[in-house]
Amino acid sequence: MPHTGTARPIPRIMLSVLCFPVLLVLAAGCDSGNGHRIVFSVGGTPSALLVWEELIANFEAQSDWRVTILRQPADTGQQLQALLVALDSGQDDPDVFIMDVAWVGLFAAAGWLRPLGTIDTEPFFEQVVEQVDKYNGKLLALPVYMDAGLLYYRKDLLKKYGYAGPPRRYEELTAMAVAVQKGERRDNPGFYGFVWQGAQYEGLVVNFLEFAGRGGGMLHQRNGRDVLDMTVPENRRGLTWMRDLIREHGISPPSTYTAMREEEVRLWFQQGNALFERNWPYAYALHDAPGSPVRGNVGVAMLPGWETDEPGLPTLGGWHIGISAQSDAPDGAMAFLRYVVSRGPQKRLALRLGWNPGREDLYDDPELLEKYPHLPVLETALEHARSRPLLPFYIQLSEIAQQTLNAALAGNIAPGPALRDMQSQMAALLARYGRETLLPEGTKTAGERGQ
Amino acid sequence: MNRPDARNLLLFFGVGFTLLFCLSPFVYMLLTGFNTSPDFLRPGGNMAFTLDHFHTVIFSPQLHFPRYMLNSIVISAASACITVFAASLAAYALTRLPVPWKGPIMVFVLAISMFPEVSLLSYLFKFMSALGWANTYQALILPYVAWTLPLSLWILVSYFEQVPHDLDKAGLIDCASRLTILIKIILPVAAPGVFSTLLLAFIFAFNEFLFALMLTTDYAARTIPVGIAMFQGMHGEIPWGEIMAAAAVTTLPVVILTLLFQRRIIQGLTRGAVKE
Amino acid sequence: MRAETIEKLSSLGFLGPLAFFIALFIVLPVTGTFVDSLFRDVVFLDRAFIGLENYRALFSHPGFWNAMRFTLLFVIVSVPLEILLGLAIALTLNETIPLRGMIRAVVLIPWAIPAAVSARVFELIYNYSYGAANYLVRVLGISREPVNWLGTDLGAFAAVVATDAWKTTPFVAIILMAGLASIPEILYAQARVDRAGFIRRFRSITIPLLWPVLIVAALFRTIHALRIFDVIYVLTGGGPGGATESVSLFAYRYFTTGDYGFGAAASVVLFIMALSLSVFYVRLGGFGKRRRE
Repeated sequence: MPHTGTARPIPRIMLSVLCFPVLLVLAAGCDSGNGHRIVFSVGGTPSALLVWEELIANFEAQSDWRVTILRQPADTGQQLQALLVALDSGQDDPDVFIMDVAWVGLFAAAGWLRPLGTIDTEPFFEQVVEQVDKYNGKLLALPVYMDAGLLYYRKDLLKKYGYAGPPRRYEELTAMAVAVQKGERRDNPGFYGFVWQGAQYEGLVVNFLEFAGRGGGMLHQRNGRDVLDMTVPENRRGLTWMRDLIREHGISPPSTYTAMREEEVRLWFQQGNALFERNWPYAYALHDAPGSPVRGNVGVAMLPGWETDEPGLPTLGGWHIGISAQSDAPDGAMAFLRYVVSRGPQKRLALRLGWNPGREDLYDDPELLEKYPHLPVLETALEHARSRPLLPFYIQLSEIAQQTLNAALAGNIAPGPALRDMQSQMAALLARYGRETLLPEGTKTAGERGQ
Repeated sequence: MNRPDARNLLLFFGVGFTLLFCLSPFVYMLLTGFNTSPDFLRPGGNMAFTLDHFHTVIFSPQLHFPRYMLNSIVISAASACITVFAASLAAYALTRLPVPWKGPIMVFVLAISMFPEVSLLSYLFKFMSALGWANTYQALILPYVAWTLPLSLWILVSYFEQVPHDLDKAGLIDCASRLTILIKIILPVAAPGVFSTLLLAFIFAFNEFLFALMLTTDYAARTIPVGIAMFQGMHGEIPWGEIMAAAAVTTLPVVILTLLFQRRIIQGLTRGAVKE
Repeated sequence: MRAETIEKLSSLGFLGPLAFFIALFIVLPVTGTFVDSLFRDVVFLDRAFIGLENYRALFSHPGFWNAMRFTLLFVIVSVPLEILLGLAIALTLNETIPLRGMIRAVVLIPWAIPAAVSARVFELIYNYSYGAANYLVRVLGISREPVNWLGTDLGAFAAVVATDAWKTTPFVAIILMAGLASIPEILYAQARVDRAGFIRRFRSITIPLLWPVLIVAALFRTIHALRIFDVIYVLTGGGPGGATESVSLFAYRYFTTGDYGFGAAASVVLFIMALSLSVFYVRLGGFGKRRRE
């Protein structure tokens, strides 16, 4: 049997191999102490985040706080997970962060937001601040970026096919899209009439709420209280229409419900392969940038409605800024927050990233108006915008909606049953969280339903 | 003379199929990573060689890729070393010391390797959060050690069992402690098994996804599998070229390890999973 | 007396680190998850003991049954597929062929690559517009229209099975290779003397003697397939419309939206399923071989 006898260097090698990673671990885990440092978490494409770095550099020049930027992916689902895990695990970083408007309810109810104290909220869109940013009377966040869905259209194509202007109703939109697509397909086989976000993510719910129109949506006012009802006929009409766009009229690509999110939709339209696009206002700057194939031909309008010429209800989107309740540098965080929501940075974000300011007082700024002629349309849209339900468990409700809506688009389930299914799942969720009061009257509880 | 020909033909096809099956996605990954545009298989698409993607992936600070690599390597190496340390001690005890309930212990450890990761996840998360260790190296290393211990133990037990007890006795006569015997006598002899275990533990830790997904929040401790899953382009589109370049760089160390040490890896796997 | 006590203490000491890690980072979290599933543990509500309420809600949640259905279907389809493919590869590699070592190394490559990474490669392969899969579909004339792999239930299911099979077939092949190697060559030699054909030899010698290993491999794969997460998270995200959502992914979603109690309940159910199978496996495979010696 091979027997080595003398002591080999193996044990020593193993010991050092073992120690090295341990040392690295200790070194890496070493907290450099806080000092005057705040951590700021923001998501976006790496190119967008470069603008934030400029803002941070500016801030650092005027204050003695250092800011470390924590770059999150552009995907909102991943941003949420990162923030949620960081906050829920009790970490003191990030100190300041940007959150989607749909999360403010959850963060507020979970106690992760530090009250902002006395900040003048006058320059901001009042109704948004009241609805979204205040919880139990305390101001917990401020809008940095306001968003509402818009309808983009190709001015040149509408003119080419003899239409006077963008559609005011969804019925018209369908007709126009079908006609133009037929014509354009002769030269461009990849042309589609209408591109919108249908992948299984939050954006799908946003689109759905817009296409459901007035009377549709999740929460409804009945007998003086809020009621959650997905089965209203307007929802059914909207969902059927969405499904037919793909499966019946073929004016939306089959990848709509698998891959189409904001950027995919924007790129599709920007490459000249669509007549209509539903997207957020950010797309305008990119469509109009030098080098864009559709530059100069892009029009922007309010989303259509159903049956009447009244404009539709865009869904309110956007990003809000808040301070972590667990922050170890609240003063610095506050200073940075004030800086970000002040006129200068807001204007720069608007000019460089196409971020619509949360400050209403910037909407008549001549420089912005010159760069973004669609700003007045946007201001109207923001005034009409409908926010998603501001419940702490909105995210769970949305996940239920995302899955069922996507299944309906995929053709796996008809719209009517899909919405009923959605409603019963949401009802079960509400029961679990003790919020049955939000259910329509006559809804049986789980025990009675005998499911 | 027909049968050998038929057999050879069958073998030829067998080998061909095997190679095609195992290599084609890998080759496709490389092709895309070196191509200017990922749509070269589209009708009318064409191939054009470029190193841009690799350059972006390795040198772009916003993508944090080198950091992910560092994290993965350190975490995997540390886990592998600590696992071998703990498993060697335990394997020695189980093969040479009077330990009660040896059988049940081995069975228990085996059963543990069957636990779904998700069943540990939430509590592990709370545990690490309570310690303030979320998003740190140790948050991943410690669970990884525990997670790779069962396989490591089984492999080392099967190797240690084959080392004759006479060697121990020789050491004991010289008044060496059990620990010294382990380190100076048994481990050198079972070195191939130890090496197999190190390799397998490293690979398992390197490839782990779920714990890394939930226990890390940013590039400070994030590992490569999570980094690649979340990979996005500079402007928000899915940058297939860069993703494949990143994937190629990621798989490089593992592929090299595999090619060099395939025999050791296979020996380790078969010992751990199938008792000969 | 003293020597014996020293030995006993030594053995405890030697087992110490193992016990430490397993107790603290496996047993404790599993127990903790079990306990947590009995609580209303939601990030924005007060913690309260609710007994089996989470389970009741779980079993009346259509999403959970959807996940169960997918997971079980996935197991039923992928495990036999991987066993068959693995067997084919193992049989090939069992013969003396040139460069056998190299080929074995190549076979290991899919197994060695992180699942998340290979899932991204397959995500590209199944890309609708320019992926390799649709390229083959077009070039081989299977269909004139590109297949919407990740957009249809069946396509996504096939994609997930294929991706997982690519990654784990090598592992099965290796296990089976070890099993094949332990079949004494003399049996084949005798069979050849008896003029038994290839198929006859396969049926009468290979399969019966390989059977225990096949069972072991199948059970091993089944238990691992139950917990599938990585491939699905990256390749389909559980879509389209939840068609490829596994139980692991289902539980994970609830963790990342702050409902830990509910997610814990789902993961406990998965745990019980895996544990039952593993008991079966240990009975059959782990100690079956020992008893045979």
